[in-house]
Amino acid sequence: MVTLSQHPDSGWWTSGWVDLGLRWLLGGLFVLASMHKIEDPAVFAKIIYGYDLFPAAAINLIAIILPFIELTAGLALLAGFYPRAAAVILSTLLLGFTVAIAINALRGHVFDCGCFTAAEKVVWQNEPAWMLGRNALLLFMGWSIAFYRGRRVAQVRSG
Amino acid sequence: MMDLFQKVILLLAIAIVLALAINRFSPHGIPLIGQWDTDTGVVTADTDLAALWAEFEVPDVATAKRVFDSGKALFVDVRSQGIYDAGHIPGAVSLPLGDLESRLEAILDDVPRQRPIITYCSGRLCQDSHTAAQLLMERGFENVLVFIDGFPGWIENGYPVATP
Repeated sequence: MVTLSQHPDSGWWTSGWVDLGLRWLLGGLFVLASMHKIEDPAVFAKIIYGYDLFPAAAINLIAIILPFIELTAGLALLAGFYPRAAAVILSTLLLGFTVAIAINALRGHVFDCGCFTAAEKVVWQNEPAWMLGRNALLLFMGWSIAFYRGRRVAQVRSG
Repeated sequence: MMDLFQKVILLLAIAIVLALAINRFSPHGIPLIGQWDTDTGVVTADTDLAALWAEFEVPDVATAKRVFDSGKALFVDVRSQGIYDAGHIPGAVSLPLGDLESRLEAILDDVPRQRPIITYCSGRLCQDSHTAAQLLMERGFENVLVFIDGFPGWIENGYPVATP
């Protein structure tokens, strides 16, 4: 029998603490991920170029702006400032990354500039299966936060 | 009360303003549009750097071959040792960019500072030969040029290749 106190959605996954954990994990990961890119936008731009999916005129702009979207949304999740909006942004980015990786995996496109400067940073591109699995997990976390309906712990501003 | 869409726009606006402002004032900032056309030259996010580099680039493969045939220049291969071993321009010394600074003295010690040096790497997708050229100039080499088409351009033209 379902009563108000036993809402069908209730369970450990509706706990505000689980939501908080997911927010901090996803937010923290994106803040960390944005750091290298912010430190060296030229190297990040080259990685974007390597995907061979974007017009030349957009590459630098993506390299400049994308890391700050990750940073801003990541910090918003950590701080509990518009967490739902931040989760929507990060989920959309993850979806975009996933599509880009999948397209290149399907068409067998691997970027190898044969260079030292970007070598370590593009090695992960050679492992699309690992990246797609990781993105699926992160996307699930993003959606959990975006669709969370319970009362949030440590929230500065809702939404 | 703002709806979700407005909050998304607000967060994105904060990110874009921060990004453009920090990029503008950061020493690592890049121009808003880069040089991503391999027909023009080496691809790079930094067009200012590309303009500077143009002054010491070997313009085409045929010129590089003429310099090679004259025997006057020393070719420096800055790709990794493994790639060098698989095939390189005959007579080129291997000086991988990763340990260029530590091995430079040992390998180029007896090379006169006036001797022309031509650095190369993996072609127009690779900036390593430019970075290497800059380091060599800082160490006192006076005639350093970059062969931007690198090893891929060399073998494309069927020029001789050495394997150790």
